[in-house]
Amino acid sequence: MAASRIRIGVDVGGTFTDFVLVDDHRQLIYLGKQLTTPRDPSRAIIEGIQRILREAGVDIGKLDGVVHGTTLVTNTVIERKGAKVGLVTTKGFRDVLEMGREIRYDLYDLFLEKPEPLVPRHLRSEVDERVDATGAVLRPLDKDELRTVARRLVDQGVEAIAIAFLHAWRNDAHEREALAIVRAEHPDLPVTLGSEIAPEIREYERSNTAAANAYVQPLMQRYLSRLEGELHELGHRGTLSIMLSAGGLTTVRTASKFPIQLIESGPAAGATAAALYAKLTGNDYLISLDMGGTTAKMCLVEHGAPEHSNEFEAGRVKRFRKGSGLPLKVPVIDLIEIGAGGGSTAWIDGMGLLKVGPESAGSEPGPVCYRRGGTEPAVTDADLLLGYLSPDFFLGGDMALDLDAVRKAVETRIAAPLGLGVEQAAAGIHAVVNENMAAATRMYIAEKGRDPRRYTMIAFGGAGPVHAYGLAKLLKLRRLICPLGAGVTSALGFLVAAPAVDLVRSYVARLEVADWAQVDGFFTDMEATAVERLVEAGARKEEIRFERRAEMRHVGQGFEITVPLPDGPLRASSLDQVRAQFFETYEKLFGRRIEGIGIEALTWRLHAAAPQSDVTLRFAGQKADTGQRIKGERQVFFPETGYAPCPVYNRYALKPGDGFRGPAVVEERESTTIVGPDSTVHVDRFLNLVIDIDQSTVAVADTEVHHAHNG
Amino acid sequence: MSREPSGAAEFDPISLEILWSRLISIADESAAALLRTSFSTIVRESNDFATGLMDANGDSLAENTAGIPSFVGILPRTLKHFLHRFPKESWKPGDCVITNDPWMATGHLPDFTLAAPIFHRGRLVGFCGSIAHAPDIGGAGWSSDCRELFEEGLRVLPVKFLHEGRINELARDFITANVRVPDQVLGDLFAQVAAADVCARRTSEFLGDAQIEDLSALSSALQDRAEKAMRRAIEAVPDGTYRASLDADGFDADETHIECAITVNGSALHVDYAGTSKQIGRGLNSVLNYTYAYSVYPIKCALDPMTPRNEGSYRSMTVDAPEGCLLNPRFPAPCSARQLTGHLLAGVIYRALAQAIPDKVIAESGSAPTLRSVYSGVDRHNQSFSQVFFASGGMGGSAIQDGHSCTAFPTNTGSGSIEAFESISPLLVWKKELRTDSGGAGKFRGGLGQDVDIEVTSSHPLRLSLLSDRQKYPPKGLLGGSEGAPVEITLSDGTRPHPKSRSVLQPGDRLTLRFSGGGGFGDPRERDPAAVMADVRDGYVSAEQAHGIYGLLRDPADA
Repeated sequence: MAASRIRIGVDVGGTFTDFVLVDDHRQLIYLGKQLTTPRDPSRAIIEGIQRILREAGVDIGKLDGVVHGTTLVTNTVIERKGAKVGLVTTKGFRDVLEMGREIRYDLYDLFLEKPEPLVPRHLRSEVDERVDATGAVLRPLDKDELRTVARRLVDQGVEAIAIAFLHAWRNDAHEREALAIVRAEHPDLPVTLGSEIAPEIREYERSNTAAANAYVQPLMQRYLSRLEGELHELGHRGTLSIMLSAGGLTTVRTASKFPIQLIESGPAAGATAAALYAKLTGNDYLISLDMGGTTAKMCLVEHGAPEHSNEFEAGRVKRFRKGSGLPLKVPVIDLIEIGAGGGSTAWIDGMGLLKVGPESAGSEPGPVCYRRGGTEPAVTDADLLLGYLSPDFFLGGDMALDLDAVRKAVETRIAAPLGLGVEQAAAGIHAVVNENMAAATRMYIAEKGRDPRRYTMIAFGGAGPVHAYGLAKLLKLRRLICPLGAGVTSALGFLVAAPAVDLVRSYVARLEVADWAQVDGFFTDMEATAVERLVEAGARKEEIRFERRAEMRHVGQGFEITVPLPDGPLRASSLDQVRAQFFETYEKLFGRRIEGIGIEALTWRLHAAAPQSDVTLRFAGQKADTGQRIKGERQVFFPETGYAPCPVYNRYALKPGDGFRGPAVVEERESTTIVGPDSTVHVDRFLNLVIDIDQSTVAVADTEVHHAHNG
Repeated sequence: MSREPSGAAEFDPISLEILWSRLISIADESAAALLRTSFSTIVRESNDFATGLMDANGDSLAENTAGIPSFVGILPRTLKHFLHRFPKESWKPGDCVITNDPWMATGHLPDFTLAAPIFHRGRLVGFCGSIAHAPDIGGAGWSSDCRELFEEGLRVLPVKFLHEGRINELARDFITANVRVPDQVLGDLFAQVAAADVCARRTSEFLGDAQIEDLSALSSALQDRAEKAMRRAIEAVPDGTYRASLDADGFDADETHIECAITVNGSALHVDYAGTSKQIGRGLNSVLNYTYAYSVYPIKCALDPMTPRNEGSYRSMTVDAPEGCLLNPRFPAPCSARQLTGHLLAGVIYRALAQAIPDKVIAESGSAPTLRSVYSGVDRHNQSFSQVFFASGGMGGSAIQDGHSCTAFPTNTGSGSIEAFESISPLLVWKKELRTDSGGAGKFRGGLGQDVDIEVTSSHPLRLSLLSDRQKYPPKGLLGGSEGAPVEITLSDGTRPHPKSRSVLQPGDRLTLRFSGGGGFGDPRERDPAAVMADVRDGYVSAEQAHGIYGLLRDPADA
């Protein structure tokens, strides 16, 4: 990719739209923020782009590209504001969407709410057709019935149609036929096929994904084409790329066709930014913490690549509760999100114990200290009382915080009922929210069979660097990295991402009896499709890299593991190599191998990507503050010392090579980094704060999960 | 009576919250390790497993969040049997004791219960344990028609499966020689060992971090909090004795009857099953541990759903059933399909409690008990297969909402994918859809059951084992709500296979399973007419039922 370019990354969040402009030529990075305009997100985008271009002194005609991530898709599903969709299914199966997994996500709540299906029953229609698990046609598609069904749905006013037939993952002929028939009669109606959006076994997840794609498609098509038009009107002649949930970039055309793949577009940027820092700082094992106003997101980044998953749960009716949403088969960056942010509120449960979150005061009314009518003490309020935040330097001094009101609220709502002092209660709120994040991170890592202690943490988001030190200690991490500009770090992810595509085919077979010619054919097909899409997105054919994987398991097991496959043609003679790869992966995850039980593969995946952009982001051109490094001192609470005087550093005056001991508070405009007394800080050449926590205070324990008793 | 624990004063409400949430997270991490490495379909499709952490007395301190009702409170009871056999002083690091004895543990043979000691700085500070449904336990397989426990499979009395980390080869060989899939059964036992390993290591680490010597003071503080929460919840129920009874299909002519009396006295609650049928000579008997678990669970759901569980949660509740009855059978009563009895208890308990706290309970569920059909034989590759078809009836309605359709209660079994099911068995599912009019009518109606049609595509006959109930006695409604539709099981030739026994399916046979809907809640004539119209529009309720039972005057076609 060209070395000197000017690009803008735009991250539309719930409250703010963040902007990053990178000018490779002048080695400059500009950051910007604009209040999100929820009714028409493109308004804030256009205004913000114009503003940042002005600040950087760049003419829009010189702009090479705009990269965009959006929470529009996910919000449409959460708020149920999508299109009226009709679903066509195989006869006997129109309730797949409603029955779901038939499970209660909360074992003790007799009155739990389940997510409504995206398509109500009267808009779900059946047609006579049937394919079996081997792909053989048992009953042909009844075309007349299909025509009638489609007409009736259109008469009922549907704005999009999803077609999801049983076993279409194995044979999509009937879905293709159905598509042609619907197209012929209703050429402007968007149609999603299950076999195209998620050609994977398991009808509920596939149908749901098809329905969800249809559900968000009309809205996203309108939005993307309007944004493209407006940018063009302004004089933009470069590319407009959209961030996929898996962290790759795609074109407006592909995004309009498969908009459901943008469902985690926003969070993907943060993880991609973390991956950039992993490479910059040479960390092979990184945990990213992105903590904002309402949530904290954690993601593992190993060897420079974030973890991926092929499933995502959207629109949870009970926020953060696994199982309470709609499972989608979409390639995503695998991260965990919990209700722990600056706005998370503290409360006392039925047992008289202190709880924090998942409810959040959000930005309206916000924490008590914002003086916007918030009455419930929030995490930010506790952080203020503990001296972590300055009442005078919040958002660089743009917002004065009300310490007295906070003290009163914490006293009456928390401290007095628990019989504690105000400071003790504040320390408790800070500790409990950290513990919540630690517990979630431990589970997230345990489910992958790994041990957190080998990881370095990178923290960003407004509240990330305030809590990262406490969280790192709970997880027994030794090193913590806080990049400059924590509030907009995640937008940097847009600028390093490269065009990418993930494709999949399902074919269930025991390895010993698998039809390898067929598998080989899958990969040939998928590689051709991938090349076509990536070239359209601006990649050069020869630079595209492919990774093949298969989801495999022992026959009888319910969990698949993702196993890398060899390059080159696959034949029966590849069997030994594939089996060896399976054992190696299995052993790495579970610490043992089991001989004598068959191995089967279910799903075959291809990941194709162009190389990522040049990652040597230089801050050399950045204006430095020539003032004093230490701008003052205040009373700050640490569990080891209680309230004690602590120096306050000016982040903008720190230069590469600087170093100091904790305790320290380091202030910048969008965030504050807290460093405990048992730590050493140094500033690296990227202006990151690298914080090393003394090891005497962290028990050195075994680093790997091992199973000693395998007899 | 609430015991004032020693040392509770050492922990403030913040430390306690943090320490408790860490202990639960240890139990959850241990569960994650078990789930990741297990083979059993039932473990993963039915969440049929649990992990827990006990203090040095063997009292429960934390249980995994998603642990299922059948195992509530059982781990510490089994551990006490282990401690009787192997006194506390004899446990060494790396020991693992197992059993599947129904009376000591979970009420039937397929579940293995495993416990291991936790040492910290050389001292025994507690125990970790797990329960998991094994892929096979020999004997008759999963069926309810055995006449004695001995037909149902292998019974393993408490034995050290691992001695200081070394496997007990005799025990291992004895187990693997008596089950159909030895590698998988052994694999799952090691999944339980791995879970214990994680739990023991994390607990010791936790004690180090928290700088406390052992679990005892923390344990009594936490149990005290949980006990107080449960007692407060019981105190909110007016004192008195509330009675209800229930009839079930039983086995052939042997119908079963359950009598339930719940006595609330201040902060104590007692469930008494005196008057219940005698134990029967088929595998429907529910041993007292299982009876206890399925009694305490629905009560906790109704009275105090939010508080995490530990030993203290159960101190205020007692459960009694006369020895020799269906709910407390004597050894060696067959008990393989004890869920067909145990799952019924929630319904009878809620009918009793509805007299005092109608807003906090639900009507009987069509998924209680679950309807299971197990298919085995050879597939088209001439490989032997065995598949359970997982699906559920509807939940009962309540004072605030309709019951959920096709949702298991009181157990929490999911349903698998039909595509996955067809990929590994010579069976074809022609239909799986909501069963119109199956939800019991009511102000809030019961959830719908489902209709399933399955065809045998194998060229060989297959064996079918059915485990079902609710054909003669469908789920009852509450406070004027109607019954849900009964279970119906028929073959294409019009015959009805035995609902609780094994039969043979011929190639081309088509089996129809009609799952029960949940009972309704309140008078159907009080249902919001708009809700009735919507039900008709979506086909949940027929126009006939809308007019006849709900009294809808308008023609739904006008909507």
